[in-house]
Amino acid sequence: MARLSSSNELKELRDLLQTNIDPNALRVVICAGTACQASGAVDIVRMAQGHIVQNGLANRVSLRTTGCHGFCEMGFGPYLLTEPLGVFYAQLKTENVPRIIEAMLKGEVVEELLYRDPLTGEICRTRDEVPFFKNQHRTILDMNQKIDPTRIHDYIAQGGYQALEKVLSPGGQATVVREVKASGLRGRGGGGFPTGLKWEMLAKQRGPHGKILICNADEGDPGAYMDRSILEGNPHSIIEGMIIGAYGVGATEGIVYVRDEYPLAIENLTIALNRAREYGLIGENILGGGFSFDICMVRGAGAFVCGEETALIRSIEGKRGEPRQRPPYPVQKGVGGKPTIINNVETWANIPVIIRQGAEEFAKVGTKKNSGTKIFSLVGKIKNTGLVEVPMGITIGEIVNDIGGGPAGDSPIKAVQTGGPSGGCIPVEMFDLAVDYDSLAAAGSIMGSGGMIVMDENTCMVDVAKYFMNFLQEESCGKCFTCRKGTQRMYELLDDITKGRGTLEHLDLLEELAQVVKDTTLCGLGQTAGNPVLSTLRYFRKEYERHVIDKRCDAFVCGDLVGAACQTACPLDTEAWRYVALLEKGQYEEAYQVVREANPFPSICARVCDHRCEHRCQLGQSGGEPIAVRALKRFITDRVDPGVYKPPQTERSAENLPSPTGRGAGGEGTRTSPQDTLPLTLSQRERELSPVAVVGGGPAGISAAHYLSLQGYKVTLFEAEDAPGGMLTGGIPAYRLPRDLIEKEIASLLGEDITVRCGVRFGQDIALDSLTADGFHAVFLAIGAHESRPLGLKGEDLDGVYPSMRFLKAFNLRGEELARGHVGVIGGGNSAVDAARVAIRQKDVESVTLFYRRTEREMPAYEEEIEAAREEGVKIEVLVSPQKLFAKNGRLDGMECIRNRLGKLDASGRPRPAPEPGTEFAVHLDTLIVAIGEQPAGEILAAAGLELNKNGSIKIDPKTFRTSRDGVFAGGDVATGPATVVDAIATGKKAAEVIGRYLRGESLEIPPEVKLPRVFIEPAVVDEEQQETARRAKVHSISPEARRKNFAAVEKTLSEEEAVAEAQRCLRCDLQFTCDENGVPLESVATEEKSA
Amino acid sequence: MSICEVTGKTDSSAAVSHPSEQDQDDICRDIPAILAKHRGERAEMIAVLEDIQARFGYLPEKALRMVSEQTGRSLVDIYGIATYYRLFSLKPRGEHIICACTGTACHVRGAADVVNEFQKQLGIASGETTPDGKFTLETVNCLGACALGPIVVIDGRYFSKVRRRKVRELLDQARDGFGALPSEQDGMLFPVRVHCPHCNRSLMDPGVVLDSQPTIRLSALADGHLGRLRLSSIFGSNLISAEWEIPQRSVVRVFCPHCNEEMLDGTPCPVCDAPLVSLLVGGGGTVQFCSRRGCGWHQLDLI
Repeated sequence: MARLSSSNELKELRDLLQTNIDPNALRVVICAGTACQASGAVDIVRMAQGHIVQNGLANRVSLRTTGCHGFCEMGFGPYLLTEPLGVFYAQLKTENVPRIIEAMLKGEVVEELLYRDPLTGEICRTRDEVPFFKNQHRTILDMNQKIDPTRIHDYIAQGGYQALEKVLSPGGQATVVREVKASGLRGRGGGGFPTGLKWEMLAKQRGPHGKILICNADEGDPGAYMDRSILEGNPHSIIEGMIIGAYGVGATEGIVYVRDEYPLAIENLTIALNRAREYGLIGENILGGGFSFDICMVRGAGAFVCGEETALIRSIEGKRGEPRQRPPYPVQKGVGGKPTIINNVETWANIPVIIRQGAEEFAKVGTKKNSGTKIFSLVGKIKNTGLVEVPMGITIGEIVNDIGGGPAGDSPIKAVQTGGPSGGCIPVEMFDLAVDYDSLAAAGSIMGSGGMIVMDENTCMVDVAKYFMNFLQEESCGKCFTCRKGTQRMYELLDDITKGRGTLEHLDLLEELAQVVKDTTLCGLGQTAGNPVLSTLRYFRKEYERHVIDKRCDAFVCGDLVGAACQTACPLDTEAWRYVALLEKGQYEEAYQVVREANPFPSICARVCDHRCEHRCQLGQSGGEPIAVRALKRFITDRVDPGVYKPPQTERSAENLPSPTGRGAGGEGTRTSPQDTLPLTLSQRERELSPVAVVGGGPAGISAAHYLSLQGYKVTLFEAEDAPGGMLTGGIPAYRLPRDLIEKEIASLLGEDITVRCGVRFGQDIALDSLTADGFHAVFLAIGAHESRPLGLKGEDLDGVYPSMRFLKAFNLRGEELARGHVGVIGGGNSAVDAARVAIRQKDVESVTLFYRRTEREMPAYEEEIEAAREEGVKIEVLVSPQKLFAKNGRLDGMECIRNRLGKLDASGRPRPAPEPGTEFAVHLDTLIVAIGEQPAGEILAAAGLELNKNGSIKIDPKTFRTSRDGVFAGGDVATGPATVVDAIATGKKAAEVIGRYLRGESLEIPPEVKLPRVFIEPAVVDEEQQETARRAKVHSISPEARRKNFAAVEKTLSEEEAVAEAQRCLRCDLQFTCDENGVPLESVATEEKSA
Repeated sequence: MSICEVTGKTDSSAAVSHPSEQDQDDICRDIPAILAKHRGERAEMIAVLEDIQARFGYLPEKALRMVSEQTGRSLVDIYGIATYYRLFSLKPRGEHIICACTGTACHVRGAADVVNEFQKQLGIASGETTPDGKFTLETVNCLGACALGPIVVIDGRYFSKVRRRKVRELLDQARDGFGALPSEQDGMLFPVRVHCPHCNRSLMDPGVVLDSQPTIRLSALADGHLGRLRLSSIFGSNLISAEWEIPQRSVVRVFCPHCNEEMLDGTPCPVCDAPLVSLLVGGGGTVQFCSRRGCGWHQLDLI
């Protein structure tokens, strides 16, 4: 191709290229940006090429390989777009490519390969229907899919270099700076300095030796990659922008400073520069207009501080990239002393757009002071990761939820981090914040180059601050002392905090240091180095305090506070790793000892615990299937006789009670948990004089009574029903929890120091005042949350409509079968599923349907329970809300429902169900069970003179369980709202200790303690490869046929072989705390004895 | 389908753990060329060091001394640059370079865990090389593939969403070489049947087989010698067979064996500037490749 010697020739070439484009031609478009290449796009391209070539289809279908389109996370792989229809195929496998091409030729679409919105399940036929794209405003990024970056003709045919043509026309030169200024464009690299103003300053400089333009493509912010994508996908737009800039300000030399870590960007830019030079678009006498400007490329060598302009200039000069004092500013004295300006990639890419559209048109997008679009790289814990181009000024929430599709996993989003290491974290509460330079700065962060890293509850904000500080201390060039040393000290302080060595003074010192570094450093790196610390301290101080005061990392990130995650996840601190390891060695009795020591209800928890140990299992977190801890617990508790449990020595043996001065019998050894071995200081008499009333015989109350009695206190336990058990017997059906098992386990806990009085109802038979009058020194209220929430529909009092708790209790406690005929259950939680499964077992029931307003994904019930219900024949209708109830002869006859579709995400990150008018339908029902949540009996509690929370639960100090009345403590569902069995047990156990402290006149707060593994158990000898491929043990159930219409236990226990194999899969996270790298136990830990 | 190396060994894999005699010789031979290539460029010294590192896998002391002698810049100055930027290594690196991204997006998705696992399995800290010289483990602040984090790049190949449990498999693959990976398996390889763009006669020669396919037969002039040159017809394959030894980096002029016209594309190679060769593909489209031996740039045009 010969050089173009005039604007006219360029125009003719464009016209020619454009007339050659057949708008109806079939074309396959494949994104081959770096991210797509990493997920296999090269193979897809190969496959398409091969299919076209081998079948001689080249004259019928063409292929375009493009740069990044921005939708980088498709879950599993690359995607493909067809022209002219714009059909969008996602998560492609290579073998699908020929099918798609064949379908294209026939004018068809391969339905099953189309993209499906993961949120609503709806099929999106074209790219523009995909929510990720639909909600964007893609001025810059959309060019990427239209061109092959290695072909200058593609760019020209799409209107490329038209803006250049425009400014080269007579009188055009003077318009450049004016237009850019009028557009209001602000630098996209971080600070947001008005680009036009910068250019104007350069234009005014006298540069007898030439002026220099730099494109900063050293995108150093970790987490931001929009510059990379523009460079890779549309390098000519940068080149065009720079030529226009050069022409406008009279520059002669352009430099693109690009990261060496971006090989594809370097390659595509090299190709583009070569082509542009061949075509006479850069070099001498551009388009014959007498203006000369050339661009060269300099590869950076990895130094974050080179994003700072004076440092970048030094690096271009081939020196160490240390910043220098300003003034003189680069615009006065830059590279080699020549006047220089620096703009980043995205800024340059905007220039042709501004010139082509005109400043006025450009400024219509965005807000007044923040015009145009901005590209963000939306990454981290978000469903749709990728590059997002939106008008300036839209809210963070719109970006994260509408485009990003909300959290990636089950864990809700907590914050976004913007601006890289110089930026800060914005909490979810502030997601209404408009994204522009000024509001982000006001919120303590910065726009930066547009990185937006989404963090969820599994991200520790202290760790994030530490991460950035580590980054900054490594990247600090060291020129300013306060930056060099300050970042290092801040890192050390943060490190201390994450390792449990932090104090509240650490936080003050951090704040002070961050401020000092900000105030006393030369360049942007130092001046913003405090931001990660200051913004996290500002919005997440509680998280810092959790680390410092409670020694807890709730995100399970800080290893030295987490220890073995399975243990820390358990509210009871059960050493799951330890009993799993013992089980593997066949030491079942020892394993039982470990289980029982932590948990007074081992068999019950082995069946109904929500097993947070499994959710936190490192095996699950690192790409495998978590250990089936609950099933292993079941194996142990089923196999070992509870009689083998040797209680810690203080338990219930009067002769072992310590002397009044004595400090803790049984304090030695590693087996005893602290709650069981309190240092008792009261005399026998004193203890008998301090009786405690525990109101409520559920798991919280029984645990409290049990552990109080272990301390030697006399306890009276009041229970409203005929027998203690609470939700264990009233709420949970027998097929999940056999009755004899509950009775046995409860009986073993109610010793001689506990008097049980059943049929006594709080607020009716007893009151707080009466208990005080009866001489109780302390009261523990644990009466649960047994009131079902009403639907709020007319007719809820009809015969045949039951609140779920009433329905469940009637059956579970009294054997009454209230359900008959066609049964509907409303709700999606465990009690809804329990009610459905109980109903389907009742003899007069014909069918059971569960109605839930969202999709199954959002149902709070345990997955395995939902599955079991379905197996038993329960129908599940999702995306449905009740609207009306119908009556016939005073009895329920049916219900009108409306279908929902999932709408925008709410603050919790869950999609809101939105009713779709016109989709109403009626169902015939004989029984309706309402299971949309339980709450405490608020009126009774208020009448007792207790301060309540908004939801009707008792207000307590979460650490000490104190209520607003002295001597009255509360815990369990009545204080927290409906929670799980294991939470209730843990509450009871802790409350017992606090109440003991209260009675002894001690400080109520239990000192925080990091519970790291302290016992060494030899790891099993297993083949690691085999261990990695082994699957999680499957819990067997009796068949659905066998369990219909009866209440036999559904889940079976594991066989010995299965249990041992499952235990062998354990990663043994405990070992990093109990032995050195060579497997030699540390001196500070005990060694588990061999089986007797 | 291109005039490239037969074995396709890349520069980085040529690095060895200890500078061998061969390396010492190579340094003496290659440094002047590298210096000449970048003379007068912007950021000359950084570009020179980058090329040296690309060539040897690290910055050998001898090379830096030579650079100092030949440019007149003090060794201290050069050392200062070499230690300032993260990219440079003064220590020899291993046969396989593992580069784990620890950018923010990768970090919040558990990159630290992955790095720890690599450290554990290799028994080295990041920045170190295993004693057998097989692996070097490095971390990088961001690779710009944030959507797929945690990202690990091994010998230039990207691996996305790496979890701790995938580490062993990756190391095994790296040891065996990535040649056996699916992307290079049969399904992806296809032959092209090409014609002369001038006389439209077929260039295929079923008589001689490379990569189990008929070869592309051309006349070629290189190094002052005219003779037969055969290319593998597998698109992307580097296999050639020539009647004489064509020196690396030399430019080959290619002619049609039937009409003797030169098959020039008219555009230079976007990477190395040598002329491109262009052939017609049966059924439509063109295939272009660089005429410089060892460059390897090629593309299939189906537009």
